[in-house]
Amino acid sequence: MKGVFKINGKERELTFKPHHTLLDILRDNGYTEVKEGCREGECGACVVLLNGKLVNSCQVLAASVVGSEILTVKGIGDLHSPHPIQEAFVEAGAVQCGFCTPGMVLATYYLFSKNTDPDEKDIKQALDGNLCRCTGYVKILDAVRLAIKKMKERENEKV
Amino acid sequence: MHEIKWYFPQSIDEALDLIKLEGVIPHAGGTGILKSRLLEKIKGLVDLGKIPINYFYEENGEIKIGAMQTYNDVIENLQQIAPDSILIKALSQAASTPLRNRITVGGSVSYFPIWSDIMGPLIALDARVTLLGENASIYDMRYFAKNRLLRRNSLVKEVKFEKDRWRSYYFRAARTSFDYAAFTLSILAKKDKNLVKDIRIVVTGCARKFIRLEDLEEELKGKEIQHLNFDDIIKDINVDFRGKRHGSSEYLNHLFQVELRRGLSKIFGD
Repeated sequence: MKGVFKINGKERELTFKPHHTLLDILRDNGYTEVKEGCREGECGACVVLLNGKLVNSCQVLAASVVGSEILTVKGIGDLHSPHPIQEAFVEAGAVQCGFCTPGMVLATYYLFSKNTDPDEKDIKQALDGNLCRCTGYVKILDAVRLAIKKMKERENEKV
Repeated sequence: MHEIKWYFPQSIDEALDLIKLEGVIPHAGGTGILKSRLLEKIKGLVDLGKIPINYFYEENGEIKIGAMQTYNDVIENLQQIAPDSILIKALSQAASTPLRNRITVGGSVSYFPIWSDIMGPLIALDARVTLLGENASIYDMRYFAKNRLLRRNSLVKEVKFEKDRWRSYYFRAARTSFDYAAFTLSILAKKDKNLVKDIRIVVTGCARKFIRLEDLEEELKGKEIQHLNFDDIIKDINVDFRGKRHGSSEYLNHLFQVELRRGLSKIFGD
């Protein structure tokens, strides 16, 4: 099968098998920032934004989302121009092995896209699909709070 | 893996024709198909993404939810018109944020997995299912859930229920928040001054898949709330859960009794 996807703002035609998941085709085509963890929708390492909604890419059959917009963690910022959420994760020391980090960052990004003033409950619910095997989540939650603060400041600067 | 054929119908009629093909099943969000490893057993998938069954609206006192609405769609839409709904409580606890963006109402109602967080509340709400295709009709949710053959060559179009103000309690028995529920308990109730005006109690995940505690409901209706003795009420209410990885049948029944008492107390006040 062939299909065009808009990945991180760029249109790409990809070839894939009918049973392939979105995770399969992203990783097979170089988007290795999308991590393969459990393949069962439980760990959140593979999450991406699909048409603006956070999804486990391992739980989405690629054929069903041809033509969609996909945002991976590299689409929101990179080493040279990091997103405030990515900066916050570094500054808060929320990264150990780093495997869960793309998912955590995107879950935070999705949270802020829905709610610019989340409370603790909102933050914990937003991360309910992301597992970390290294940290005790304390630093990650610190990073999310810091990211929210940074993004609010940025929003205020715009105004 | 053998080759699977995908079909992308643009209309309901086209989709209904396609699901008659041997070995071909509907695809909504896909989570149930992947979780159940159905890809190894089927010949084709009919994607329902382009047919007009993704809607949510209120009409004549009824809330109508199209089959392609995801759990998060339902939560967001219900928050606008019925923020106290038991469905918000239940669906907010189901799976995880990214999965709630893919799991659809139609898929969940069709599969009714034993850990389902949506079926208990829908049964308690006396929801009805609109089916299209070979068994086209509107079915009571309880009847639909018990008659799996109704799904043959048929599609769930929508789920609907009366918009009504209930006091509600929802509990999912799970070891961690992400775990599959061993059982769920849904309680809806209405008070009329000091009396129990109406009550519905549904348990899912039990040996009979789900049970509505109608005898208990009848016993409670019309009773004066201040004279309700919750310990007496629950002591003879037993549900057969069968042993499962979450715990023995005895343990789950005890947990159910504790939560039933807690739910009734919360709704009516100790």
